[in-house]
Order: sequence, then structure tokens, then C-alpha cells
Amino acid sequence: MDTLRLEIVTPEGLIFDGDVKSVTFPGEEGEFGVLPRHAALLSLLKPGVIEIEKADGSKESIVINWGHVKVDENKAVALVEGAVPLAGASESEIAKKLEEAKKLLEESGESKQLLGAVEARIEKAAKLI
Amino acid sequence: MANLKDIKRKIGSVKNTQKTTRAMKLVSTAKLRRAEQVAKRSKDFEDAINATLSEIATIIKKYKVGGIKGRYFEEPEALGVVDIIFITADKGLCGGFNYHTIKTVKALIAEYEAKGAKVRLRAIGKKGIEYFNFQGRKLEDAVVGLSSSPNYKAAAEFIQKSLSDYLDGKVDKVILIHNGYKNMITQEMKMIDLLPIDTSRFSEKEVPSVMELEPDESEKVLDSLLNKYIEFNMYYALIDSLAAEHSARMQAMDAATNNAKEMVRTLTISYNKARQESITTELVEIISGMEAMK
Repeated sequence: MDTLRLEIVTPEGLIFDGDVKSVTFPGEEGEFGVLPRHAALLSLLKPGVIEIEKADGSKESIVINWGHVKVDENKAVALVEGAVPLAGASESEIAKKLEEAKKLLEESGESKQLLGAVEARIEKAAKLI
Repeated sequence: MANLKDIKRKIGSVKNTQKTTRAMKLVSTAKLRRAEQVAKRSKDFEDAINATLSEIATIIKKYKVGGIKGRYFEEPEALGVVDIIFITADKGLCGGFNYHTIKTVKALIAEYEAKGAKVRLRAIGKKGIEYFNFQGRKLEDAVVGLSSSPNYKAAAEFIQKSLSDYLDGKVDKVILIHNGYKNMITQEMKMIDLLPIDTSRFSEKEVPSVMELEPDESEKVLDSLLNKYIEFNMYYALIDSLAAEHSARMQAMDAATNNAKEMVRTLTISYNKARQESITTELVEIISGMEAMK
């Protein structure tokens, strides 16, 4: 099975680095998925959720507020400004992350409509963990 | 002759100072290690954004007539207003760290004013602010607390003011000065021409011949990236400066501890001398007293 190398970098450091089966980005002009051997692409990202399906089939979601992503044949590098990974060992940790993620989105100054849509997705993603 | 008690008290006080400086050195060492790690983590972002910008710059150069244009790259014809942003520490006791920066800033002010440009200062860090306030120079902007605990958002807010002035044409050039971290024992003055952006910093790169841009306006993508690039540069300067500050303080405190040690040594010698002297005097007094009684 083909995999794609994904790196997610924030100014404070690398937050994701690994092989993935597929990944979905909240692009400036709409959400798009990237599979291995995607055509070269550079896109701006807007506030939203990056959904990752890792090589072992497990899923991960990361909430971002701004960024851009560069896709090469086998590699995707996402530069994001603020990011909150939705993961945690316990319920309370996940709840805390959820709060953080919401705060991050509110501060990005985007329209309420978009925020509502993103928040709904986060809640859904959080339930799956 | 120095009084025995006086010397003893002095030794005690120097020893106390030594304890303090040694503790400060240890604290700085620990903080430096942390600051270094932060800087290292940010390096990833820097590499990535530089690589991307280089690619875009190459693409635009290759496929667009006229090369890269836009406000971000235009060299001004005449220098009207120059913004100097400089970073100093909030605290002292770090050797020549702050003074070096101030000196460089002063030299730069003189240089640009000789060219007839108006210089505006934007200061980060208490020490630099205090100095220029004392000199009676007006500061366009002054922020305390950012240099001792850098955070991306505050750094971005700070630089946006300069950036929007630049984009509005109120400022022709923005220079960023800070004392950067080189290694554990050396700091290095870093002066970056933040705006206009120096394109030579982006190397030409091999790029895939077909690259989709989304949204499909290279200028918009480029602008947005450049904006972040400037913000990131500001942030990176702050963490770099913090690491340098800690290394400078570590060194200064190390030197102070050594000096204190040396001082204790010389004081102990003079204490012993004084003690011997007083014993000799007492002996002479006793002996001469006995002689007189004979």
C-alpha cells in the first residue's frame, strides 16, 4: 500500500511527522483530500480541520487556524500558524483540547458560519477518539 | 592597617555575592538549554517556509514576464522613513549584551540620518527602552515583556504595525536588529533588512514543471506567504535573542563568580597578614612589658 509522507510544522515546532494513507486539508478554495502520488500543488489553508489517516489505519485530527500546504509526489508539507491536535489519553484531556481548539478558531477572526461548521466537525471527530 | 573585623565582614559579603552569582549562572544555564530547544524546533518551520518561498520565487521568475514584483520587493528610490526594530533584554546583569545592541542601533541611526532619512525606533525590551527614554529620544513603539517570554502571536501583532505602515508607503525600509545566539559562549549581532525582502536569500530551486496554485493567483499566495515569513522572522529573532541573552548572562555570572573567588583569596591573604601583625604587636607588647618589669 502506498503511503505519503506528511509533515505539519508550526513556528513552535514539528507537530506531526509520519507516513499516512491519506489526508484531508481545509483549502482556501474548498476542502481537498490528498492521496499518495498527488500532483504537485501549493494551496493556502483556512481555519479548519486536517484529517489524517495514518499508515496503520488509525485516524487523527488536527485543528488549524491558518497555513499553507505544499504537495509533492510523495510528500506533503503543511506550514500552519496555530494548531491543536485532537488527541488525549483521557476524556478530560480531550475535552481540554476541544476547548483549546475552539479558542484557536474564535481568535482567527473568521465568519461565524464557517466556525460553526468547523466546530461541528471537531465535535464529531472528538467523539470518534 | 585594616581592621580584622572589617576584613572578615568583607570576606563574608563577597562570599554571599558569589553564592548569588553562582546560582544565577546555574539558572541561566538551565534557561539557555530550554531556549535553545525552542529555537531548534522553530528551525523546522524556517526551513520549510524558506523552501516554499524559494520554489514560488523560482516559478514566478521562470514563467512570469518581468520577474517578481510587488511592494514586498521594491527597493525604494529615496529613503524617506526608516523603521529600526531592535530587541534588548528586560533584565540586566548580562555583560555587554544590551549595550552592544544599543551601540549598533545608535550607529545605524547616525548612518541613516546622515543620508537624510527619518529614523523611527521600535523597541522591544526594557533595557533599550530605558536607555533611549533617558536620552530623550522618541520611541515609535515600545514593548516590555516580549523579549523575556516570546510568543508568536504577540510578535506577529508587533510586526504587523510596521508591515502595514510599509505597505501603505509610510515607511520605506524596515531593519531588525538583535543580538543573536551563536553558541554557548558567543553572541553575534544580527542585522536583517526585513523589508524590502532581499530576494537573494531565496535560492533558485529545482521545481516540478507543473505546480498547481490554489487560489490560482500567484501574487495572492505569495503575499500571504510573505506576510507569514515576516512574522516568523520577527518571532525567530525574539527566541534567538532570548537564547543569546541567557548565554550572555551565564558568561557574565561565571566571570563574576570567578572574580569573587579571586577577591576572597586576596582578602583572605590580607586577613591572615593582619592577624599575624596583630599577634606580633601583642607579643612585642607583652615582651616589652616583661622587660620593663625586670
